Amino acid sequence: MNALVGLEATPAGGVRVLVSSTDIGQGTNTILSQIAAEALGLEYDDVSMAPADTSTVPNSGPTVASRTAMIIGKIVHTAALKMRQTLTESGLLEPSAGREEFLAACQTYRQRFGELKCFSRYEAAPNIFWNDELYRGEAYPAYAWAVYIAEVTVDTNTYSVTIDDFVALQEIGKVLHPVLATGQIEGGVAQGIGFALYEKVVWNDGKMLNNQMTNYIMPTSEDLPPIRVFFEEMPYQYGPYGAKGIGELPMDGPAPAIVNAIVQATGTSFNAIPLLPEDIFRVLTAEPDRPAEDFFSALAAEGSQ
Amino acid sequence: MSETAASRCEVSFTVNGAARTVSVYPMERLLDVLRNSLGLTGAKEGCGEGECGSCSVLLNGELVNSCLVPVLQAQGAELCTIEGLTPDAGLHPVQQAFLTCGGAQCGICTPGMIMATVQLLRRHPTPTLEQVREGLGGNLCRCTGYTRIFHSVFEVAKTEAEKGGTVA
Repeated sequence: MNALVGLEATPAGGVRVLVSSTDIGQGTNTILSQIAAEALGLEYDDVSMAPADTSTVPNSGPTVASRTAMIIGKIVHTAALKMRQTLTESGLLEPSAGREEFLAACQTYRQRFGELKCFSRYEAAPNIFWNDELYRGEAYPAYAWAVYIAEVTVDTNTYSVTIDDFVALQEIGKVLHPVLATGQIEGGVAQGIGFALYEKVVWNDGKMLNNQMTNYIMPTSEDLPPIRVFFEEMPYQYGPYGAKGIGELPMDGPAPAIVNAIVQATGTSFNAIPLLPEDIFRVLTAEPDRPAEDFFSALAAEGSQ
Repeated sequence: MSETAASRCEVSFTVNGAARTVSVYPMERLLDVLRNSLGLTGAKEGCGEGECGSCSVLLNGELVNSCLVPVLQAQGAELCTIEGLTPDAGLHPVQQAFLTCGGAQCGICTPGMIMATVQLLRRHPTPTLEQVREGLGGNLCRCTGYTRIFHSVFEVAKTEAEKGGTVA
Protein backbone atom coordinates (compact mmCIF):
# COMPACT_ATOMS: atom_id res chain seq x y z
CA MET A 1 0.00 0.00 0.00
CA ASN A 2 1.91 2.98 -1.28
CA ALA A 3 2.08 5.85 1.18
CA LEU A 4 4.38 8.84 1.55
CA VAL A 5 4.65 10.97 4.68
CA GLY A 6 6.57 14.19 5.27
CA LEU A 7 7.79 16.33 8.13
CA GLU A 8 8.96 19.90 7.78
CA ALA A 9 10.54 22.53 10.00
CA THR A 10 8.27 25.60 9.98
CA PRO A 11 9.36 29.27 9.86
CA ALA A 12 7.47 29.72 13.16
CA GLY A 13 9.98 27.45 14.86
CA GLY A 14 8.10 24.15 15.13
CA VAL A 15 7.62 21.01 13.10
CA ARG A 16 4.70 20.20 10.82
CA VAL A 17 3.42 16.75 9.81
CA LEU A 18 2.54 16.38 6.12
CA VAL A 19 -0.02 13.64 5.49
CA SER A 20 -3.20 13.32 3.47
CA SER A 21 -4.68 11.01 6.11
CA THR A 22 -7.71 12.89 7.34
CA ASP A 23 -8.84 13.40 10.92
CA ILE A 24 -12.61 12.99 10.86
CA GLY A 25 -12.93 12.94 14.62
CA GLN A 26 -11.02 9.76 15.36
CA GLY A 27 -8.13 11.79 16.78
CA THR A 28 -5.36 10.93 14.31
CA ASN A 29 -4.08 14.52 14.25
CA THR A 30 -3.46 14.16 17.96
CA ILE A 31 -1.72 10.80 17.89
CA LEU A 32 0.40 11.58 14.79
CA SER A 33 1.58 14.77 16.53
CA GLN A 34 2.32 12.74 19.66
CA ILE A 35 4.38 10.23 17.65
CA ALA A 36 6.35 12.97 15.88
CA ALA A 37 6.97 14.85 19.14
CA GLU A 38 8.12 11.71 20.94
CA ALA A 39 10.47 10.63 18.12
CA LEU A 40 11.96 14.13 17.74
CA GLY A 41 12.31 14.77 21.49
CA LEU A 42 9.88 17.69 21.33
CA GLU A 43 6.84 18.86 23.29
CA TYR A 44 3.43 18.03 21.87
CA ASP A 45 2.74 21.73 21.22
CA ASP A 46 5.87 22.04 19.05
CA VAL A 47 4.19 19.85 16.41
CA SER A 48 1.35 20.90 14.13
CA MET A 49 -0.57 19.19 11.34
CA ALA A 50 -0.65 20.60 7.82
CA PRO A 51 -4.19 20.78 6.42
CA ALA A 52 -4.90 17.54 4.50
CA ASP A 53 -4.76 19.34 1.15
CA THR A 54 -3.00 17.22 -1.48
CA SER A 55 -1.62 20.31 -3.24
CA THR A 56 0.68 20.71 -0.23
CA VAL A 57 0.90 17.28 1.42
CA PRO A 58 2.08 13.97 -0.06
CA ASN A 59 -0.29 11.10 -0.78
CA SER A 60 -0.24 9.00 2.37
CA GLY A 61 -3.04 6.83 1.04
CA PRO A 62 -6.66 6.50 2.02
CA THR A 63 -8.03 7.03 5.52
CA VAL A 64 -9.46 3.52 5.76
CA ALA A 65 -9.07 0.05 7.20
CA SER A 66 -7.88 1.06 10.68
CA ARG A 67 -4.52 1.83 9.07
CA THR A 68 -3.75 5.40 10.16
CA ALA A 69 -2.30 4.72 13.62
CA MET A 70 -0.36 1.58 12.71
CA ILE A 71 0.76 2.34 9.13
CA ILE A 72 0.88 6.14 8.87
CA GLY A 73 1.96 6.47 12.50
CA LYS A 74 4.93 4.22 11.78
CA ILE A 75 5.94 6.25 8.70
CA VAL A 76 5.68 9.49 10.73
CA HIS A 77 8.03 7.82 13.18
CA THR A 78 10.60 6.89 10.52
CA ALA A 79 10.33 10.36 8.91
CA ALA A 80 11.08 11.86 12.33
CA LEU A 81 14.16 9.66 12.72
CA LYS A 82 15.29 10.76 9.23
CA MET A 83 14.85 14.39 10.21
CA ARG A 84 17.11 13.98 13.23
CA GLN A 85 19.56 12.04 11.07
CA THR A 86 19.60 14.80 8.43
CA LEU A 87 20.50 17.37 11.08
CA THR A 88 23.19 15.23 12.71
CA GLU A 89 24.76 14.35 9.35
CA SER A 90 24.90 18.04 8.41
CA GLY A 91 26.85 18.64 11.61
CA LEU A 92 24.19 20.91 13.11
CA LEU A 93 23.02 18.55 15.85
CA GLU A 94 24.65 16.25 18.37
CA PRO A 95 22.92 12.86 18.41
CA SER A 96 22.11 13.27 22.11
CA ALA A 97 20.83 16.86 21.80
CA GLY A 98 17.55 17.87 23.42
CA ARG A 99 14.53 19.92 22.41
CA GLU A 100 16.05 23.45 22.34
CA GLU A 101 19.12 22.34 20.39
CA PHE A 102 16.94 20.45 17.92
CA LEU A 103 14.64 23.42 17.26
CA ALA A 104 17.63 25.76 16.91
CA ALA A 105 19.31 23.32 14.49
CA CYS A 106 16.10 23.24 12.37
CA GLN A 107 16.23 27.02 12.00
CA THR A 108 19.95 27.04 11.17
CA TYR A 109 19.34 24.35 8.53
CA ARG A 110 16.50 26.38 7.03
CA GLN A 111 18.65 29.54 6.86
CA ARG A 112 21.46 27.61 5.21
CA PHE A 113 19.53 25.38 2.78
CA GLY A 114 16.13 27.08 2.36
CA GLU A 115 13.94 24.37 3.82
CA LEU A 116 14.06 21.24 5.94
CA LYS A 117 11.67 18.57 4.74
CA CYS A 118 12.04 14.84 5.26
CA PHE A 119 9.93 12.16 3.63
CA SER A 120 9.46 8.53 4.41
CA ARG A 121 7.69 5.86 2.36
CA TYR A 122 5.72 2.84 3.51
CA GLU A 123 7.67 -0.38 3.65
CA ALA A 124 5.82 -3.62 4.23
CA ALA A 125 6.70 -5.56 7.34
CA PRO A 126 9.03 -8.45 6.40
CA ASN A 127 6.46 -11.19 7.04
CA ILE A 128 3.82 -10.12 4.50
CA PHE A 129 3.51 -9.79 0.74
CA TRP A 130 1.23 -7.32 -1.03
CA ASN A 131 0.96 -6.80 -4.80
CA ASP A 132 0.07 -3.17 -5.49
CA GLU A 133 -0.60 -3.84 -9.20
CA LEU A 134 -3.06 -6.68 -8.68
CA TYR A 135 -4.18 -5.20 -5.35
CA ARG A 136 -3.92 -8.63 -3.80
CA GLY A 137 -2.08 -10.15 -0.90
CA GLU A 138 -1.76 -9.32 2.74
CA ALA A 139 -2.51 -5.64 3.17
CA TYR A 140 -1.64 -5.55 6.84
CA PRO A 141 0.74 -7.50 8.98
CA ALA A 142 -1.22 -7.43 12.24
CA TYR A 143 -4.70 -6.76 13.54
CA ALA A 144 -6.33 -5.81 16.81
CA TRP A 145 -8.13 -8.44 18.87
CA ALA A 146 -11.10 -8.07 21.15
CA VAL A 147 -13.66 -9.76 23.35
CA TYR A 148 -17.15 -8.29 23.67
CA ILE A 149 -19.63 -9.30 26.34
CA ALA A 150 -23.27 -8.20 26.43
CA GLU A 151 -25.74 -8.78 29.22
CA VAL A 152 -29.33 -8.40 28.03
CA THR A 153 -32.90 -8.60 29.25
CA VAL A 154 -35.63 -9.65 26.83
CA ASP A 155 -39.10 -8.47 27.85
CA THR A 156 -41.47 -11.32 27.04
CA ASN A 157 -44.47 -8.99 26.97
CA THR A 158 -43.14 -6.29 24.66
CA TYR A 159 -40.39 -8.38 22.98
CA SER A 160 -37.98 -5.48 23.41
CA VAL A 161 -34.35 -5.98 24.38
CA THR A 162 -32.51 -3.95 26.98
CA ILE A 163 -28.73 -4.16 27.20
CA ASP A 164 -27.91 -4.02 30.91
CA ASP A 165 -24.14 -4.07 30.69
CA PHE A 166 -21.51 -4.13 27.98
CA VAL A 167 -17.83 -4.92 28.33
CA ALA A 168 -15.18 -4.50 25.63
CA LEU A 169 -11.71 -5.91 26.11
CA GLN A 170 -9.42 -4.66 23.37
CA GLU A 171 -5.87 -5.64 22.46
CA ILE A 172 -4.45 -2.88 20.23
CA GLY A 173 -0.71 -3.30 20.71
CA LYS A 174 -0.06 -0.04 22.52
CA VAL A 175 -2.61 2.56 23.59
CA LEU A 176 -1.26 5.86 22.25
CA HIS A 177 -3.88 8.12 23.85
CA PRO A 178 -6.08 6.52 26.51
CA VAL A 179 -8.96 9.04 26.35
CA LEU A 180 -9.21 9.00 22.56
CA ALA A 181 -8.73 5.23 22.31
CA THR A 182 -11.45 4.58 24.89
CA GLY A 183 -13.75 7.05 23.12
CA GLN A 184 -13.19 5.32 19.76
CA ILE A 185 -14.17 1.98 21.25
CA GLU A 186 -17.19 3.32 23.14
CA GLY A 187 -18.44 5.02 19.99
CA GLY A 188 -17.89 1.91 17.87
CA VAL A 189 -19.74 -0.23 20.39
CA ALA A 190 -22.63 2.27 20.38
CA GLN A 191 -22.85 1.95 16.60
CA GLY A 192 -22.70 -1.82 16.95
CA ILE A 193 -25.62 -1.68 19.39
CA GLY A 194 -27.60 0.37 16.88
CA PHE A 195 -26.67 -2.23 14.23
CA ALA A 196 -27.95 -5.04 16.51
CA LEU A 197 -31.16 -3.53 17.88
CA TYR A 198 -32.37 -0.38 16.13
CA GLU A 199 -31.04 0.57 12.73
CA LYS A 200 -33.21 -1.17 10.16
CA VAL A 201 -32.94 -0.07 6.56
CA VAL A 202 -36.26 -0.58 4.77
CA TRP A 203 -35.85 -0.95 1.00
CA ASN A 204 -38.49 -0.49 -1.63
CA ASP A 205 -37.66 -0.87 -5.31
CA GLY A 206 -34.01 -0.03 -4.71
CA LYS A 207 -34.73 3.01 -2.57
CA MET A 208 -34.42 3.45 1.17
CA LEU A 209 -37.91 4.10 2.52
CA ASN A 210 -36.91 5.29 5.99
CA ASN A 211 -34.15 7.72 5.07
CA GLN A 212 -34.86 10.20 7.86
CA MET A 213 -33.69 10.41 11.46
CA THR A 214 -37.41 10.24 12.31
CA ASN A 215 -37.83 6.69 11.07
CA TYR A 216 -34.27 5.34 10.91
CA ILE A 217 -33.63 5.05 14.63
CA MET A 218 -30.13 5.28 16.08
CA PRO A 219 -29.30 5.06 19.79
CA THR A 220 -29.79 8.18 21.89
CA SER A 221 -28.24 8.95 25.26
CA GLU A 222 -31.23 7.23 26.84
CA ASP A 223 -30.78 3.92 25.00
CA LEU A 224 -27.23 2.84 25.73
CA PRO A 225 -25.92 0.70 28.56
CA PRO A 226 -22.73 1.48 30.43
CA ILE A 227 -19.96 0.62 27.94
CA ARG A 228 -16.97 -0.54 29.93
CA VAL A 229 -13.67 -0.59 28.03
CA PHE A 230 -10.52 -2.43 29.05
CA PHE A 231 -7.20 -2.67 27.27
CA GLU A 232 -4.65 -5.39 26.90
CA GLU A 233 -1.31 -4.26 25.50
CA MET A 234 1.02 -6.50 23.51
CA PRO A 235 3.30 -4.05 21.64
CA TYR A 236 3.55 -4.87 17.94
CA GLN A 237 7.10 -4.47 16.70
CA TYR A 238 6.26 -2.82 13.34
CA GLY A 239 3.72 -0.33 14.75
CA PRO A 240 4.66 3.10 16.14
CA TYR A 241 5.66 2.49 19.76
CA GLY A 242 3.87 -0.84 19.39
CA ALA A 243 0.45 0.49 18.29
CA LYS A 244 -1.98 -1.36 16.03
CA GLY A 245 -5.23 -0.19 14.38
CA ILE A 246 -8.33 0.51 16.40
CA GLY A 247 -11.17 1.96 14.30
CA GLU A 248 -13.29 -0.84 12.89
CA LEU A 249 -13.16 -3.73 15.32
CA PRO A 250 -15.48 -2.13 17.93
CA MET A 251 -18.24 -2.10 15.29
CA ASP A 252 -17.75 -5.73 14.28
CA GLY A 253 -18.12 -7.64 17.52
CA PRO A 254 -20.97 -6.08 19.54
CA ALA A 255 -23.91 -7.23 17.36
CA PRO A 256 -22.86 -10.92 17.47
CA ALA A 257 -22.37 -10.65 21.24
CA ILE A 258 -25.82 -9.11 21.68
CA VAL A 259 -27.54 -11.67 19.41
CA ASN A 260 -25.82 -14.52 21.26
CA ALA A 261 -27.09 -13.11 24.55
CA ILE A 262 -30.63 -12.90 23.11
CA VAL A 263 -30.32 -16.50 21.90
CA GLN A 264 -29.26 -17.58 25.37
CA ALA A 265 -32.09 -15.63 27.00
CA THR A 266 -34.83 -16.92 24.69
CA GLY A 267 -33.53 -20.35 23.75
CA THR A 268 -34.29 -19.48 20.13
CA SER A 269 -31.86 -18.72 17.35
CA PHE A 270 -32.04 -15.60 15.21
CA ASN A 271 -30.45 -15.26 11.79
CA ALA A 272 -30.78 -11.54 11.03
CA ILE A 273 -30.16 -8.14 12.57
CA PRO A 274 -31.37 -5.66 13.65
CA LEU A 275 -33.68 -7.37 16.12
CA LEU A 276 -36.51 -4.92 16.70
CA PRO A 277 -39.34 -6.04 19.01
CA GLU A 278 -41.47 -7.00 16.00
CA ASP A 279 -38.65 -9.19 14.64
CA ILE A 280 -38.29 -11.03 17.93
CA PHE A 281 -42.08 -11.34 18.20
CA ARG A 282 -42.30 -12.91 14.72
CA VAL A 283 -39.64 -15.49 15.46
CA LEU A 284 -40.86 -16.38 18.96
CA THR A 285 -44.52 -16.69 17.92
CA ALA A 286 -44.02 -18.21 14.46
CA GLU A 287 -45.85 -21.42 13.68
CA PRO A 288 -43.23 -23.95 12.60
CA ASP A 289 -44.90 -24.80 9.26
CA ARG A 290 -45.85 -21.23 8.40
CA PRO A 291 -42.83 -18.89 8.30
CA ALA A 292 -43.66 -15.39 9.47
CA GLU A 293 -42.32 -13.86 6.25
CA ASP A 294 -45.06 -15.67 4.27
CA PHE A 295 -47.89 -14.44 6.44
CA PHE A 296 -49.26 -11.96 3.93
CA SER A 297 -48.91 -14.27 0.93
CA ALA A 298 -50.64 -16.96 3.00
CA LEU A 299 -53.46 -14.52 3.72
CA ALA A 300 -53.74 -13.66 0.04
CA ALA A 301 -53.83 -17.36 -0.84
CA GLU A 302 -56.62 -17.99 1.67
CA GLY A 303 -58.59 -15.04 0.27
CA SER A 304 -58.38 -16.39 -3.29
CA GLN A 305 -59.78 -19.79 -2.35
CA MET B 1 -40.36 48.35 -3.73
CA SER B 2 -39.76 45.05 -5.50
CA GLU B 3 -42.07 42.15 -5.03
CA THR B 4 -39.35 40.24 -3.21
CA ALA B 5 -38.65 43.02 -0.75
CA ALA B 6 -42.37 43.43 -0.16
CA SER B 7 -42.66 39.89 1.14
CA ARG B 8 -39.91 40.39 3.67
CA CYS B 9 -40.43 41.76 7.14
CA GLU B 10 -38.26 43.07 9.92
CA VAL B 11 -37.71 40.97 13.02
CA SER B 12 -35.87 42.23 16.09
CA PHE B 13 -34.35 40.15 18.84
CA THR B 14 -31.31 39.96 21.08
CA VAL B 15 -28.56 37.55 20.06
CA ASN B 16 -25.80 36.83 22.53
CA GLY B 17 -26.50 40.12 24.30
CA ALA B 18 -26.61 42.33 21.19
CA ALA B 19 -29.84 43.80 19.78
CA ARG B 20 -30.26 42.79 16.14
CA THR B 21 -32.85 43.55 13.48
CA VAL B 22 -32.96 41.36 10.39
CA SER B 23 -34.93 41.68 7.18
CA VAL B 24 -36.26 38.19 6.54
CA TYR B 25 -38.99 36.09 5.05
CA PRO B 26 -41.32 35.39 7.98
CA MET B 27 -41.18 31.61 7.68
CA GLU B 28 -37.39 31.41 7.30
CA ARG B 29 -35.91 28.98 9.76
CA LEU B 30 -34.17 30.60 12.71
CA LEU B 31 -31.19 28.33 11.95
CA ASP B 32 -30.78 29.84 8.47
CA VAL B 33 -31.11 33.40 9.77
CA LEU B 34 -28.47 32.76 12.44
CA ARG B 35 -26.08 31.13 9.99
CA ASN B 36 -26.68 33.09 6.78
CA SER B 37 -27.85 36.55 7.85
CA LEU B 38 -25.90 36.86 11.10
CA GLY B 39 -22.85 34.71 10.31
CA LEU B 40 -23.29 32.62 13.46
CA THR B 41 -22.29 29.25 12.03
CA GLY B 42 -21.82 27.46 15.36
CA ALA B 43 -25.29 25.90 15.26
CA LYS B 44 -25.14 23.06 12.71
CA GLU B 45 -27.78 21.60 10.45
CA GLY B 46 -27.87 17.84 10.97
CA CYS B 47 -31.25 16.39 10.02
CA GLY B 48 -33.28 19.57 9.50
CA GLU B 49 -36.33 17.92 11.01
CA GLY B 50 -35.93 18.35 14.76
CA GLU B 51 -34.51 14.90 15.52
CA CYS B 52 -30.78 15.39 16.01
CA GLY B 53 -30.40 18.59 18.05
CA SER B 54 -27.19 19.78 16.35
CA CYS B 55 -28.89 23.16 15.69
CA SER B 56 -29.80 23.65 19.38
CA VAL B 57 -29.86 27.22 20.68
CA LEU B 58 -31.43 28.84 23.73
CA LEU B 59 -34.56 30.92 23.06
CA ASN B 60 -35.61 32.83 26.17
CA GLY B 61 -33.58 30.27 28.12
CA GLU B 62 -35.31 27.25 26.59
CA LEU B 63 -33.42 24.75 24.46
CA VAL B 64 -34.93 24.69 20.95
CA ASN B 65 -34.10 23.10 17.63
CA SER B 66 -33.51 26.24 15.58
CA CYS B 67 -34.34 24.29 12.38
CA LEU B 68 -37.96 24.06 13.61
CA VAL B 69 -38.42 27.69 14.69
CA PRO B 70 -39.83 30.15 12.13
CA VAL B 71 -37.83 33.34 12.60
CA LEU B 72 -41.02 35.35 13.23
CA GLN B 73 -41.41 33.39 16.45
CA ALA B 74 -38.14 34.93 17.68
CA GLN B 75 -39.54 38.49 17.58
CA GLY B 76 -38.52 40.17 20.85
CA ALA B 77 -36.80 37.04 22.11
CA GLU B 78 -33.46 36.63 23.78
CA LEU B 79 -31.28 34.15 21.90
CA CYS B 80 -28.07 32.49 22.98
CA THR B 81 -25.90 30.46 20.61
CA ILE B 82 -22.62 28.62 21.16
CA GLU B 83 -20.80 31.83 20.11
CA GLY B 84 -22.48 33.71 22.97
CA LEU B 85 -21.42 31.08 25.44
CA THR B 86 -17.75 31.30 24.49
CA PRO B 87 -15.81 33.98 26.39
CA ASP B 88 -13.45 36.32 24.52
CA ALA B 89 -10.48 34.46 25.96
CA GLY B 90 -10.40 30.81 26.91
CA LEU B 91 -13.35 28.48 27.06
CA HIS B 92 -16.67 28.20 28.86
CA PRO B 93 -16.44 25.62 31.70
CA VAL B 94 -18.69 23.22 29.76
CA GLN B 95 -16.49 23.54 26.66
CA GLN B 96 -13.39 22.97 28.80
CA ALA B 97 -14.92 19.83 30.32
CA PHE B 98 -15.76 18.41 26.88
CA LEU B 99 -12.16 19.04 25.85
CA THR B 100 -10.69 17.50 29.00
CA CYS B 101 -12.90 14.40 28.99
CA GLY B 102 -12.95 13.68 25.26
CA GLY B 103 -16.64 14.60 24.93
CA ALA B 104 -16.22 15.51 21.26
CA GLN B 105 -14.99 13.50 18.28
CA CYS B 106 -16.09 14.73 14.84
CA GLY B 107 -17.61 17.83 16.43
CA ILE B 108 -20.85 18.22 14.47
CA CYS B 109 -23.08 17.51 17.49
CA THR B 110 -20.81 19.40 19.89
CA PRO B 111 -22.25 22.96 19.76
CA GLY B 112 -25.77 21.61 20.28
CA MET B 113 -24.62 19.13 22.89
CA ILE B 114 -22.91 21.92 24.84
CA MET B 115 -26.02 24.13 24.68
CA ALA B 116 -28.08 21.17 25.94
CA THR B 117 -25.58 20.61 28.75
CA VAL B 118 -25.77 24.26 29.80
CA GLN B 119 -29.55 24.08 29.99
CA LEU B 120 -29.43 20.72 31.78
CA LEU B 121 -27.07 22.10 34.43
CA ARG B 122 -29.24 25.18 34.95
CA ARG B 123 -32.13 22.85 35.79
CA HIS B 124 -30.04 20.27 37.67
CA PRO B 125 -26.71 21.70 38.89
CA THR B 126 -25.67 18.29 40.24
CA PRO B 127 -27.55 15.92 37.96
CA THR B 128 -28.03 12.17 38.32
CA LEU B 129 -27.11 9.89 35.42
CA GLU B 130 -30.80 9.53 34.57
CA GLN B 131 -31.19 13.33 34.47
CA VAL B 132 -28.17 13.59 32.17
CA ARG B 133 -29.50 10.87 29.85
CA GLU B 134 -32.90 12.58 29.72
CA GLY B 135 -31.46 16.10 29.38
CA LEU B 136 -29.29 15.12 26.39
CA GLY B 137 -31.86 12.74 24.88
CA GLY B 138 -32.71 15.16 22.07
CA ASN B 139 -29.11 15.52 20.92
CA LEU B 140 -27.77 12.67 18.82
CA CYS B 141 -24.08 11.77 18.71
CA ARG B 142 -22.76 9.16 16.30
CA CYS B 143 -19.13 9.08 17.40
CA THR B 144 -18.79 8.93 21.17
CA GLY B 145 -21.43 6.49 22.38
CA TYR B 146 -22.26 9.35 24.81
CA THR B 147 -20.07 7.91 27.58
CA ARG B 148 -17.37 10.63 27.38
CA ILE B 149 -20.14 13.23 27.12
CA PHE B 150 -21.65 11.97 30.40
CA HIS B 151 -18.16 12.20 31.95
CA SER B 152 -17.88 15.79 30.68
CA VAL B 153 -21.21 16.77 32.24
CA PHE B 154 -20.29 15.26 35.61
CA GLU B 155 -16.84 16.85 35.42
CA VAL B 156 -18.21 20.37 34.93
CA ALA B 157 -20.94 19.83 37.55
CA LYS B 158 -18.26 18.80 40.02
CA THR B 159 -15.82 21.63 39.28
CA GLU B 160 -18.59 24.25 39.35
CA ALA B 161 -19.94 22.88 42.66
CA GLU B 162 -16.42 23.05 44.11
CA LYS B 163 -16.16 26.66 42.97
CA GLY B 164 -19.50 27.28 44.64
CA GLY B 165 -21.02 28.57 41.42
CA THR B 166 -23.51 27.39 38.85
CA VAL B 167 -23.17 27.14 35.10
CA ALA B 168 -24.20 30.50 33.69
